Amino acid sequence: MADQPLVRLTIEGVPVSVPQGTLVIEAAKQAGVMIPHYCYHSGLPVAGVCRMCLVEIETTPKLQIACATQAAEGMVVNVLSAQAREARQGVLEFLLINHPLDCPICDQAGECELQDYVFQEGRSRTRYTPTYAKRFNPVEDFGGDVLYVPNRCILCTRCVRFMEHVAEEPILNVSERGDRAYIGIHPDRHLDHPWAGNVVDLCPVGSLLSKDFLHKARAWELDKTPGVCTGCSQGCNVNLDTRTDVVVRVRPRANLDVNQYFMCDHGRMQYRWMNRGDRIEAPLVAHGHELAAVSWDHAFARAAEIVRGTAGRAAVLASPRASTEALFLAKRVLGRFDLTAAFRVQRVSEEAPLIGVPNLALRSERAPNVTGATLLGYTEQFEVAVKALSGSAVVLVLDDPLEGVSADLLRAAGQVIYLGTVLPDAARAAHVVLPIANVAEEDGTFVNRDQRVQRYFQAKVGPGMARPAWWVLGELLAELKLGGPFGSAAEAFAWMAAEEPRFGGLSYQLLGTRGMVLPAGRPAGVGA
Amino acid sequence: MAITVKTVRRPEGEVSYLRATLKGMVVTLSHVFRPKVTMEYPEQKSTDDWTLSPRWRGTHRMLTDEQGRAKCVACGLCPQICPANCIKLVPGEDEEGHRYPLIYEIDEFRCIFCGYCQEVCPEEAIHVGVHYENAEYERSRFVYDLERLCAQTHPVSTLWDPSDPQGE
Repeated sequence: MADQPLVRLTIEGVPVSVPQGTLVIEAAKQAGVMIPHYCYHSGLPVAGVCRMCLVEIETTPKLQIACATQAAEGMVVNVLSAQAREARQGVLEFLLINHPLDCPICDQAGECELQDYVFQEGRSRTRYTPTYAKRFNPVEDFGGDVLYVPNRCILCTRCVRFMEHVAEEPILNVSERGDRAYIGIHPDRHLDHPWAGNVVDLCPVGSLLSKDFLHKARAWELDKTPGVCTGCSQGCNVNLDTRTDVVVRVRPRANLDVNQYFMCDHGRMQYRWMNRGDRIEAPLVAHGHELAAVSWDHAFARAAEIVRGTAGRAAVLASPRASTEALFLAKRVLGRFDLTAAFRVQRVSEEAPLIGVPNLALRSERAPNVTGATLLGYTEQFEVAVKALSGSAVVLVLDDPLEGVSADLLRAAGQVIYLGTVLPDAARAAHVVLPIANVAEEDGTFVNRDQRVQRYFQAKVGPGMARPAWWVLGELLAELKLGGPFGSAAEAFAWMAAEEPRFGGLSYQLLGTRGMVLPAGRPAGVGA
Repeated sequence: MAITVKTVRRPEGEVSYLRATLKGMVVTLSHVFRPKVTMEYPEQKSTDDWTLSPRWRGTHRMLTDEQGRAKCVACGLCPQICPANCIKLVPGEDEEGHRYPLIYEIDEFRCIFCGYCQEVCPEEAIHVGVHYENAEYERSRFVYDLERLCAQTHPVSTLWDPSDPQGE
């Protein structure tokens, strides 16, 4: 892009310079003007069907659509002139002829572009008589997670273009013609493509709905927190939508270097476990054969006593869902031992790529921080580590669900410190149990398969006394006089960046919400 | 110094209580012949020249459709607008796929009777009522659930209409 010649143009009186070939609608964003649009989407091919982005271009006799007009040298674009506004008002009036007045029961209400633009520049009253019968088609189940409400459809064809050009499985089309047109689906097919859920996000109105989210919450009740998808090692950027400390849906967050504007259905459904109710709410210490709830101070003292009082071999059984900070600090706690650090990850045989976007797929390894764990010296030889448990003086479990690891096997080890969100039966053999926050309840970072370090943010409050793993391990390190404690995840990361050369030079501030590729890593990402 | 008492003689007519008493009796008796201004609540609840205003905002009532179902579609606007945060709403879906409230509760103790819920309701379902007799034996009875709101029969409030500012 950099070597392309620039053209200068004026949009709403603001002079801007953009590379040749830029569309007027994109150039307007640089001028701080949002041109109303429905069919245009930066991630899809241009269709120019909605006519909503009509703008006045001086020297051109008729109004032009900003989404299909390239910026040219000396162009003067008026977005808010009387002529352009009147034209867009007309377009909105046509869209509203058949659009039902069912905003109160529509899931899109509050984040609906039709609502926004009508409010912004539509007519305040209808010119149609109340007896006018609107077009009616019954609600259709498209299969997968998608429901189609044809009455609300404004025929922008974003969904059709997504399935055709991005997913490359053209099973949607515009059926019929004129005012009878609707979105049709192949009669023998369902919308069960692994990335089909994106059509719900792409739909500017409430025509394509998620069955999972149907009637669950209103858009204005949701708090959005930037996060990273935990579904696989791709590390798609997401927003966690929460209502009163419950995650109710996950939607993609645009990051052109990772997932563009999309995320897969598998990742979309990866949120219910974040709301689990059966969490550990207090630190527990073994008292005879029972685990007894104690204060944090007491638990740290006991854990430090275990680490200090033993020597020889030790093992860390970590989860690749733990943050990079926690993985690093867990190894530091047992730094002076002969350490075996292992994790395990669920691998499925097939990846599910989104064909239209290079280097984007639902990956076979179904955990977000496999690369982070590997970089920090964890190996995937989990079974070997489990077999070696009996000879270990100390075992630190970091949020591994301990499936297939029996309590007897853990008892065979010397002392067991268990950091986890929930308490599996085997973990009852632990000597100290420290409750930690899950991914929605803490700040942290994941390293995706392209070695991109990405931050995720706290979206809700953890239960009871559960605290982020970086805090718990930091306090434990301080108790052992090995480092810490940390006041924030940023401090923990800064310490890791100082100690671990691979993360050198990085900080939370630099990572921002888009993440950065590790200095030694290959420059990967979409289109690279 | 010895204390001396000075005795002042007053005219008989001024110190007699009889005159004042009779004057008071005249006032009292004159009221017997004047028109009555008190209302004998609870036997009598309104008079010819005094009733509750049609804009009175009292405890709520949920209007129902022909089938007796609440008109509410659980759009979530009333809990959003409510300044006292007294409306609890959980949306759901009925057998026919219509959106309706699974839980709709109004805490009448918290309510400040501003009438915003009625004003904001797009379905004309929730209304404040022209009603003031709400005594209960238990505090918990002041949280009205959907069934109770639908069962209310009192008239609903006519809110002020900005397009007809003088009208009732």
